[in-house]
Amino acid sequence: MQRSSKQVSILDKTLSRGKSEVNISTFALLFSEMIRYSQNRVNTVHELQTKLSELGHFVGSRLLDVIVFREKGYKRETKLLSMLMFVKGSVWRNLFGKEADKLERSNEDPCTYLLIEKDPLVNTFISVPKDKASLNCASFIAGIVQAVLEGSNFPCKVTAHWHNGTTYMIQFEESVIARERNLAESGR
Amino acid sequence: MPIFHVFVVNRAGSLIYDWDMAPRAPELEKTLSFPIDFRLEAIDQRPTVVFGERDGVRVGHVVLAVNGRPVQTGRVSFEGSETDVDVLTYLQDERNFPVSLKFGRPSLTTNEKIILSSMFHSLYAIGAQLSPAAKSSGIRSLDTDQFRLQCFQSTTGTKFVLIADTQSASLDQVLRKIYELYADFALKNPFYSLDMPIRCELFDTALKSLIEKFERSGVVTV
Repeated sequence: MQRSSKQVSILDKTLSRGKSEVNISTFALLFSEMIRYSQNRVNTVHELQTKLSELGHFVGSRLLDVIVFREKGYKRETKLLSMLMFVKGSVWRNLFGKEADKLERSNEDPCTYLLIEKDPLVNTFISVPKDKASLNCASFIAGIVQAVLEGSNFPCKVTAHWHNGTTYMIQFEESVIARERNLAESGR
Repeated sequence: MPIFHVFVVNRAGSLIYDWDMAPRAPELEKTLSFPIDFRLEAIDQRPTVVFGERDGVRVGHVVLAVNGRPVQTGRVSFEGSETDVDVLTYLQDERNFPVSLKFGRPSLTTNEKIILSSMFHSLYAIGAQLSPAAKSSGIRSLDTDQFRLQCFQSTTGTKFVLIADTQSASLDQVLRKIYELYADFALKNPFYSLDMPIRCELFDTALKSLIEKFERSGVVTV
């Protein structure tokens, strides 16, 4: 009891940058166990991807505040495109040390955006067996992206697909697109 | 300094991974008329030359193909026919000649590889026990006039065995690198269970590129 008064509580410490690097082997082993843990509790590949996505959601909702505070001070993004660029640039840089490769808008559907990455870091050591060919462990990252976007008031659904490497398909709700349109019109 | 084979043996002594260089001995195709000069006998279910070496076909070579059709366990099937025919009986019949046969050195079947690696695993243990000093390692290298075998046992008991040319320099670096690749692409893969056969694509590709790099430059960069 006497010792704890000398220790600084975590809430009193400044929000410094902290150590920006973690050993990839450590992460790979932890992630591999996360996948095995989830696999023991589901029955289909689709459920496994959902479970990984939920784990990512857990991470993303906690990361959002830290990253926004470090990168943008006290401002937050309200426009869709700048929010997506923030995800592609700042969030990716904080997580993986580099930016995502491409951000595209889908031609058929104005609500869908595609974030493309050739080699997701989490998949470096994972060889998916043939009977689970549709499984992409980057669903974990899709969960992170979904939590970050939902936390910033852009409700959406994010899924990971094997296309051009790995593509994260972001489907925003109608309300978001309608709001964007209103903002654009009133700005004019 | 070509590397001929790579084997990975698990703690219990069973083979979990093997890699072969593409067949290095040239294969000879010869068109023959009845009766053939070589004496063929079925050894290990393969039609093998036992007598009558001639024109590059040596004793120990097996018949790999008949008229272009591959031979499997001593039998060959032809186009238009569903049943396969025993090669030796086929060659006794004069009507089937002239025939074109492909000869070559036999390659090890998977079964033979498994048996040989388990035997090596036992010999390794015997080697460790024969040592006059305590806490000795097992067989580290085995030299013959045709090849050189080197083995590295990790702290966990997994053995990495390399079979290469006699002139190759110490292959320790290569073995350590293969151990590193195993630790990366097999052990960090959530779909790989310990001590099971390694079926990871990333491990295969990484191993192949490591061997190619080694054969080209002779050194292994860490």
